[in-house]
Amino acid sequence: MNSKILNDIKELVEEQVISNKVAANIENYYKSKKADSPNRLFTVFAVLGSTLVGLGIILILAHNWDDFSRSIKTIFAFAPLIIGQLIVGYTILKKKNTTWREASGVFLFFAVGASMALVSQIYNIPGNFSSYMLTWILLCAPLIYLLKSNALAILHIVFTTNYACAFGYFNGNQTPWLYILLLAILIPHYYLLLKNKKTHNITSIFNWLIPLSVIIVLGAFVDRTEELGFLMYVILFGLLYNIGKLPFFDNQKLRRNGHLVLGSLGTIYMLLLTSFEWLWKDILRHDMVFGTQEMYVSLILFISTIGVLIFSYSKKWIQNFNLFQYVFILFSIIFFIGMSGSFASIALINFLILALGILAIKIGADKFHFGILNYGLLIITALIACRFFDTNMSFVIRGLLFVGVGVGFFFTNYIMLKRQKLNK
Amino acid sequence: MKTIHIFILFIGLAIAQLFVPAQMIFNKESIISNGAAYKFKTQPVDPSDPYRGKYINLNYDVRAYKTTDSIWERKDKVYVYLETDSLGFAKVSEVSKEPLNTSKDFIIAEVGWYSKIEQELNFNLPFNRYYMEETKAYDAEVAVRNNQRDSLPNNTYALVYIKNGEAVLNDVVINEISIKDYVDKVD
Repeated sequence: MNSKILNDIKELVEEQVISNKVAANIENYYKSKKADSPNRLFTVFAVLGSTLVGLGIILILAHNWDDFSRSIKTIFAFAPLIIGQLIVGYTILKKKNTTWREASGVFLFFAVGASMALVSQIYNIPGNFSSYMLTWILLCAPLIYLLKSNALAILHIVFTTNYACAFGYFNGNQTPWLYILLLAILIPHYYLLLKNKKTHNITSIFNWLIPLSVIIVLGAFVDRTEELGFLMYVILFGLLYNIGKLPFFDNQKLRRNGHLVLGSLGTIYMLLLTSFEWLWKDILRHDMVFGTQEMYVSLILFISTIGVLIFSYSKKWIQNFNLFQYVFILFSIIFFIGMSGSFASIALINFLILALGILAIKIGADKFHFGILNYGLLIITALIACRFFDTNMSFVIRGLLFVGVGVGFFFTNYIMLKRQKLNK
Repeated sequence: MKTIHIFILFIGLAIAQLFVPAQMIFNKESIISNGAAYKFKTQPVDPSDPYRGKYINLNYDVRAYKTTDSIWERKDKVYVYLETDSLGFAKVSEVSKEPLNTSKDFIIAEVGWYSKIEQELNFNLPFNRYYMEETKAYDAEVAVRNNQRDSLPNNTYALVYIKNGEAVLNDVVINEISIKDYVDKVD
């Protein structure tokens, strides 16, 4: 049991806050709770251990031992793989606990990669990096479900992202369509986690990793019409924000809600980026082409986001108007106004950012949440800082604006603090 | 799901995991034993790969071919048909976008770019990596560079086995000595 709790109980008994009987009950409760859950710390270390051993084997094999003949090298290629498989087989047959399942799975994951890497070395197969990664990921994906392993699921998403980047960004301008399939493989695992372990830390890790991976990879779906990349990203962030607003996620702590946080930050970032004049000048140098791959990707994202919104309405989850949820619609309209050559779009985007900043301050004040309140103030500060670069305002006005926002920071926080004290 | 069912599924997966590298080996072994051997003149340089270790990158003398066909997309497949010159080194006999009906050996290479001025198609051969022990890769590059500084013509070549469009790079040879042994000898 946690020694801190033990000490607290002791203190409470000494101060006669609780009776000895209550103290014994509390101790028993924590003891029984502990018996149910295997030692989590041990699992974490076991996973780290097998990751390091697995990576170590890959590195040792990467030395390319010249002194060994081809057949001995081949045996080396298969040895870690077979050992890993034996351990995993034993774990499944003997129904070992989580620690065994996670650690043996991770070891086998790296053994598969090592054996393929060594065969490539022996026969000098140049095989491009992304196809090697793809085979590796696919050969290990079923293990996630056979072992019910979270560590393998994390490895899966990290390597999938790595694969999609190698394929989409570094190996020339190709679209990593298979990324969608690889991500889909993970969805049932994520769904089960959300259903059965809603508040566990491991679920929050996936709440962050999955949107992060999608954000990193989406750019690889941009083929030739790069301008539409901006629209794609704004709609994606809108989708993430709206997913984060579903009561299932929204009712949890903010730090568990990666969808919402990433969606909100991303939206603001994209809006700030597109509020610059030079960016639009750059965009307008190209002609608008319809019916391109980017157009379809944007359309699919748009329809999915609208779908989430309509679903939320039908369930009566949306009570108050929250501009953040509709930014993607407004931005899509503004984007096409901008594409037609009008610079009105820049003014509209500036107003939109301002409105979002004020809205965040309002939400923060209503919820008594200092974080959100100051986030709103930061949005406005960022907007003003950005306008520093491309407007010809006099320094006096810029200075006054900054002083104004600074005073705003003090003032709003002070009022909030006071109101909070009053409420108590 | 019962344990035994999970275990049976796992056995299937384990076989697949064993099959992939084994299949790579069988495929390459069959090329080495049944394929035709070609010598490609080459120059090595030394980079590395995060998972697979040090290798030397090989720049081949066979890397371009004059053709009037000027429509080539980067990264496309190109069928490169081979023959042997009077000194026994490989040279290109023709290139094509589609497989040709001929008995000549070919390799499937990747289009690099087409130079309109020289009317020349540049391509990358699919066996430009030769893995070496990590301490030797850099020495090998230096050894080749020094070897080329003498007045003799380039006598570094890659020994490649080719069968049905697939290739195995078996060895890199300097002055008729395998590059692995050549590096040791220079030391």
